[in-house]
Amino acid sequence: MPKLGTSIRIISAVAAAALLAVVVAGTAGARSDATVSGAGSTFVSPLVAQWQQAVGGALGIELQYSPIGSGGGIAAITSRTVDFGASDAPLTSDQFNACNGCEQIPWALGGTSIMYNLPGVKNLLHMDGATLAKIFMGQITKWSDPAIASLNKGVSLPDTAITIAHRSDNSGTTYNLTDYLSSVSPSWKSQLGVGVAVNWPVGVGAKGSSGVAGVVASTPGAIGYADVAFALQNHLKYFAMKNNSGKFTTPGSRGILAAASSDQKPAADNSLSIVNPPKKFANAYPISTFTYVIVPLQTSKAADLKKLLFWAVTHGQTGTYTAKLRFVPLPKSVLVVDEKAISKIHS
Amino acid sequence: MTEHVLRVEGLARRRRVNHLMESLAWLAAVIAIAILAIVVWSVARKGWSELNLDLLTKSPIPFSLTNAPQGLSNAFAGTLVIVGVATLMALPVGILVAVYLNEFAPPSIRTGVGLVLDVLAGVPAIVVGIFVFVLLVAGSGQSGLKGAFALAILMLPFVARTTIEVLALVPNALREASLGLGIPQWRTTLSIVLPRAVGGILTGTVLAVARVAGETAPLLFTSSLVGNQTSWNPAHALQTIPVAIFELSESPDPKDHARAWAAGFILLLFILCASLTARWLATRNARKIAGR
Amino acid sequence: MSAADISAEPVRRPFTGRRVRFGDLLLQALAGGAALGATVLVGLIVWKLIDGAHPALSKYGLGFVTRIAWNPVVGHELYGAGSFLFGTVITSFFALLVATPLAIGVALFLSELAPRVVQAPVTALVETLAAVPSVLVGLWGILVLGPALRTHIEPWLHSGLGWIPLFGTPSAAGASVFTAIIVLAIMILPIVSSISRELFLGVPSELKEGALALGTTRWEMVRGVVLPYSRGGIAAALILGLGRAMGEAIAVTQVIGGGVFIHWNLFGTGDTLGSKIAASYQGASTNLQSASLIYLGLILLVLSLAANIVAQWIVRRVSRQHGVTRGGHA
Repeated sequence: MPKLGTSIRIISAVAAAALLAVVVAGTAGARSDATVSGAGSTFVSPLVAQWQQAVGGALGIELQYSPIGSGGGIAAITSRTVDFGASDAPLTSDQFNACNGCEQIPWALGGTSIMYNLPGVKNLLHMDGATLAKIFMGQITKWSDPAIASLNKGVSLPDTAITIAHRSDNSGTTYNLTDYLSSVSPSWKSQLGVGVAVNWPVGVGAKGSSGVAGVVASTPGAIGYADVAFALQNHLKYFAMKNNSGKFTTPGSRGILAAASSDQKPAADNSLSIVNPPKKFANAYPISTFTYVIVPLQTSKAADLKKLLFWAVTHGQTGTYTAKLRFVPLPKSVLVVDEKAISKIHS
Repeated sequence: MTEHVLRVEGLARRRRVNHLMESLAWLAAVIAIAILAIVVWSVARKGWSELNLDLLTKSPIPFSLTNAPQGLSNAFAGTLVIVGVATLMALPVGILVAVYLNEFAPPSIRTGVGLVLDVLAGVPAIVVGIFVFVLLVAGSGQSGLKGAFALAILMLPFVARTTIEVLALVPNALREASLGLGIPQWRTTLSIVLPRAVGGILTGTVLAVARVAGETAPLLFTSSLVGNQTSWNPAHALQTIPVAIFELSESPDPKDHARAWAAGFILLLFILCASLTARWLATRNARKIAGR
Repeated sequence: MSAADISAEPVRRPFTGRRVRFGDLLLQALAGGAALGATVLVGLIVWKLIDGAHPALSKYGLGFVTRIAWNPVVGHELYGAGSFLFGTVITSFFALLVATPLAIGVALFLSELAPRVVQAPVTALVETLAAVPSVLVGLWGILVLGPALRTHIEPWLHSGLGWIPLFGTPSAAGASVFTAIIVLAIMILPIVSSISRELFLGVPSELKEGALALGTTRWEMVRGVVLPYSRGGIAAALILGLGRAMGEAIAVTQVIGGGVFIHWNLFGTGDTLGSKIAASYQGASTNLQSASLIYLGLILLVLSLAANIVAQWIVRRVSRQHGVTRGGHA
């Protein structure tokens, strides 16, 4: 057999062995826990990420979660590629049928922030629904537009062009935003409607909430939308939105909790709608939403799944996990429904 | 007199044009090298700050609110496993195809299958990903094995083609001598021809590994719904370095970018070393086999 | 990676009359099986893609290929490949336009001009560019090239040449078709250049020396002898490069921004077939959407195969013309 340069062989063998040794050594301590895997909403992914760090030790469960967007989560659980799906958009009856024996359970409560990047201008500029709809439809193209200026008297707004950052994938956050825009703008409702994806007339598409946050962070003049946790994590400014009582509210615990009190009873399919609450909810943030975990009623992972979900809707809602991310603990009425729904899961 | 002047001026102009063209060619070469240098330099410089042992030994902690050390150990382990399994899948098949074409096939089949290999080499990686998705993943889930299968499809033409070339270099006299001694053809091929070609086969394999170690598209479809903990089990979907870089590249967090650069640096280093080694091996072995 | 024929070597068949052993049959069966498997694989790829795209194929037929729409809103679903096909064609064509002069220049440099000392290292370096994974070029594109183009080059080109529709208003985000074009050009440069280099080295030296002996300058010799002689091969190289550019999905999706429209502004965002698939497959929520994405993949496959086959055909025709048997390469 022809010789192959002994020195080359030795060097490459040593290098490969070294790399292998390092990786194996570093991971040798990993426990082999029971694994529960899920995929879906990027909206809830910051909170799930905190849960991931805790349930290994607390429950002996390795929680795997892939934030691929609500649409992807629904598709993944429908094909049983994962153990649970996560979506901010409630399932339609067609999706329930396709999923074949699934239920949805609201497991977190948060708000969609409308983020913007405008150097030199303060945070928490005022915005209202009708104007926002016009901006997303491309009818308002500059920050100096009178519609924006009239909401922000006394603030000097530059002539910068507005760049819209929207989701390119199927997103429950898009559903939340379009649900809101449809309720405040009849022309949005007729031209674009509500959905996990719409025919965006203008703007740059990005994948996932972090993609949208990335575009806003790197583009002066950009406006985008994502769960408020992403705005906070990336130090992005966001609007104070005008609600139906005329107040300008922000996606914090007070605003989101007030919105949640506008729909206390989950429907038969456990969905809740708290977008653009009527004016008696004076402090409500109008773009709030519950987000759902979608589980098959019958699954081989029933025991671990139930353990995980019970933990998530109780312990997982405490301030340790939710406060910094501006998620709000689930209201009692929803918790009661949740616990009943979780017990229905069987193997 | 005028003729002489015209001729001299014509020559001067032609020389100027020639000089200009030569300078442009030099410029083109400089630009091409500069691009490579800029890309490699960017990767090295930006990855340097995150290039530490943690990258290889710690798992990722998405959305970390503390500053706990994290890395991409799941991606490094996954890449090792998936590329390893892909090589185990592609190598025997590639060698067998080459043996068939070179030792058994009539010329018409040889051209035909050669064409097939070239066509296979031209299928875009993302189409291979869709194919394996429709064939294996839809309805039954992702796994490292399915990802390895997709990579093996990409590796096959490389391995087969280099093996064919190196088998063709083995002198016929060797085969005829062996057959003349009464050794059956199968033993001739396995014990005499193939061992002579091992150097070239190794080169082809190293090149194929270098090619697929950085492939992202097929793995997006077959091994992308993964966990953060490191796993060596190919029956599960495993994270890989290219997919990790792809996901981190679209994040807004500069720390994620730094980790992407660092992982990219290691990947690039590996691929560059593999390519250069393969090239060196190739020239060395070609000389050896043909010269003997 | 060359489009060269397999060298025509004498066929090694078992000698007539010799005893055929079981081992021989087994090896031939296994090896033949592998070869058959590879052939079946190509057919299987085409078939499975058609199979996966079936819901969209039966619903939209061939009209899908030219329709400019991608509306995933449930109840109003309408899909079409038109804008992505346009994007693929535009990005690949312009990438080829940018890469070709560079690639030919490099190839000429390496075959005619480079001092011996420099030849081997520079060749190795240019081919190393091919080894950089697309995800890294894309990462570099998003974080380094895109912002650089957005802050410096695009505004400058727009202010100077803005009357040409190609150089319209730059999009404020770093993503643009222009960035994608540059990224693609970088990725196909090595292929076109290495094939061209081999072509130029393969021009018979008598022809070149003859021209020089007649008093031509080096450039005139190249223009009059080398380039015409290699014309066919260069065409094949260009088409191979085009095929590679069309099939590139990852680096493009990282830098191109997305969008469903047709416009000529290179500085705006856009989308290509591969890029759309990479961006949307994971979250496809309905069967029709998945099938439409696979239909996009099918169109891409057809385009790549066409480019590949045309290149092969050109190579074989040129080989016959020159009567050269092209074996292994250095």
